[in-house]
Amino acid sequence: MAESWTLNVDKDAANDPVFVGVGELKTGKFPDRGFIEALTKVAILALRDAGMVPRDIDTILLIPNLHSGADQADLVFSRMVEELGILGTCKASFMVHSGGSTSDNAVRAAHGLIATGHAHNVLVLQCERWGSADLNEMITMLSKNGIPGEWELPTGIQFNAIGAMITNRYMHASGSTPAEMASICVTLRNWANLNDNAMFRDKPLTVEQVLASRMVADPLHAFECPPMADGACAFVMTSAGIAKKRGITHGVRVAGSGGCVSHYCLSQEPDQAVLGWPVAAERAWNQSGWGPGDADIAEIYDSYAAVTAIALEGIGIAAKGEGARWFAAGNGNPGGKLPMNTNGGLLSAGHTGVGGGTALLVEGIRQLLHRAPSHRQVEGCERAIIGGSGGSYMDAQILLLERTGMGG
Amino acid sequence: MQTPKIVSDFRDGLAAGELLVQSCNACGKPNMWPRYACPHCQSDDLGWLKSSGGGVLHSFCVLRQGAPEGHEGDLPYAIGAVKLDEGVQILVRLAPDGADDWSGYRCDDRVVFEGKEAGRECARFRRAAD
Repeated sequence: MAESWTLNVDKDAANDPVFVGVGELKTGKFPDRGFIEALTKVAILALRDAGMVPRDIDTILLIPNLHSGADQADLVFSRMVEELGILGTCKASFMVHSGGSTSDNAVRAAHGLIATGHAHNVLVLQCERWGSADLNEMITMLSKNGIPGEWELPTGIQFNAIGAMITNRYMHASGSTPAEMASICVTLRNWANLNDNAMFRDKPLTVEQVLASRMVADPLHAFECPPMADGACAFVMTSAGIAKKRGITHGVRVAGSGGCVSHYCLSQEPDQAVLGWPVAAERAWNQSGWGPGDADIAEIYDSYAAVTAIALEGIGIAAKGEGARWFAAGNGNPGGKLPMNTNGGLLSAGHTGVGGGTALLVEGIRQLLHRAPSHRQVEGCERAIIGGSGGSYMDAQILLLERTGMGG
Repeated sequence: MQTPKIVSDFRDGLAAGELLVQSCNACGKPNMWPRYACPHCQSDDLGWLKSSGGGVLHSFCVLRQGAPEGHEGDLPYAIGAVKLDEGVQILVRLAPDGADDWSGYRCDDRVVFEGKEAGRECARFRRAAD
C-alpha cells in the first residue's frame, strides 16, 4: 500500500486552483523564430485565452530549455517579466525543473502557491529550440544529463540507448512484437495528423514504414525515436474565486496527483518494464478517489513507445503486459476507447525537450476546456489523466484533471 | 577536481581485472554505484568486496549511431544493465558473440564479468556458456 496524501483544498472552494487558459506555437523546425520572441508570443496567446493581460499576472513559473545555457539564464533572471511589461507588479519569477516531468511539478508548485495565497494568477511559460540546435552538440549534452559521468558515461550510453533498453526489457517481459510496438507510433501519428501545430501534421505513418526504417539502437528503429523540435507553450492558473469574479464560467481543476521517483540512472531501476508507474498511480487514486476507468482522455509522456505502454499498464488502463497490444487494437486512436496523446505526443507532434510533457499537459487542459479544434475535440471530455517522466525515466508523475464549472 | 577516491578505487580494480562492489563496514550491505555515505545506514566507513562476476542481464541495447562525443569510433556497441549476484546493479559493455554481432543475447541471460572494456573505464561482460 502506497502512502497517501490528502489534498487540502476543496472543489468549489474559493481557493481551489484552476487552469483558465492555454497557448501554443507550432512545433517543428523554426530557425528564424527567436527564443524570447516565441516566449512573448505564446505568453500573450495563453493570457488572451484566459481573458487576461500581462498585468494580471503576479507569478511566472518557467519551464527550462535544454538548447542553451545563456537562454536558460535569461529565463531564470526574470527577462520575461521585463518583456511582458510587468516589472514591479510581478511578485516572483522562477524556474521549476525535473526534466520531462517539469510540467507536472510546475502544476504542483502553482497549485500550492494559489491555494495558500502566495499567488493569485500564475503564468507558466515554456520554449525550446531543439529542432534548430546543432544535433551533435545536443547528443553530447544529452549523454551528460541523467547519466552519472563517473560511472556510466564511459559505457557510451545516451538517450536512444536508454529508450532502447527500456523497450527491449518491455518487449521481453510482455512478449510484444515489433509491429505491436510500432502501432503506438502510428496511433500518435494519427492524432498528429489532426493537429496543425504538430511537426508531422501532414505526414501519415504505417507500421510497415516504422519497421522498414533503419535500426538506430536495437530494438529501436529510426521512426521510433523522438524527433527533436522547436516549440513553445504556456498556461494560466488562478483560483476558482478569482475566475468567478472575472466572469469565467469553466475551468480545469486538479482532482489529485501521484508521483514516484524510482531511480536516477536507469541501471539502478529494479524493473525497467514497470518503472514508478504503479506506485504513482496508487498515490494518485488515493488522493483523488478516481480509478483508471474514470478518465475520458489520457496524455502520457511518450518519448519512446515503450515508456507509454509501461505507463498505461502501471496506471491500470491496459492489463499487465498488454500496453502495446492495447494500442495495436486501436484503443488509443481518434474515436477509440480512450483517446491517447491527442496532440500527437512527443513522437509525432515533436520532442521539445522539457517541453514535450508541457505540450501534452496543455493539450489535456485544452480538451477539458473544450477548446480543441472541432475535428480533434473529444466530445464530452470531463476528466483527463496526465502523465510525465523526466531524465532517464527517473520518475512517474500523474496529474488527474477535471473540468469544473465556476457556477453561481 | 581530483578524481574521488571511490571512483579511482573502482577503476584501479577494473585495471587489475577485478570488479569491485562497495561494501559498508558498518552494516555489511553492498552499494552500487559506490556512494559517499551508505544509503542503508549513513555510515562513511566504506570498503570493497570483490564481485563473483556473475549476474543476470536485465536489459541491453546495441547502439548503431549517434554515439556521444569520443565514442564514435566504438560504433556499433552494446550496453547492458546487469543485476549482479551480490544484489546490486551496474551498467556495462557487452562483448559481441562474433564481429559486431549481439544477436544471441536475450534479457535475463546469465552474464559474467570478462574484465575492463579496452580503453574505457567500465566493465565488460559476456554471455555465460549455454
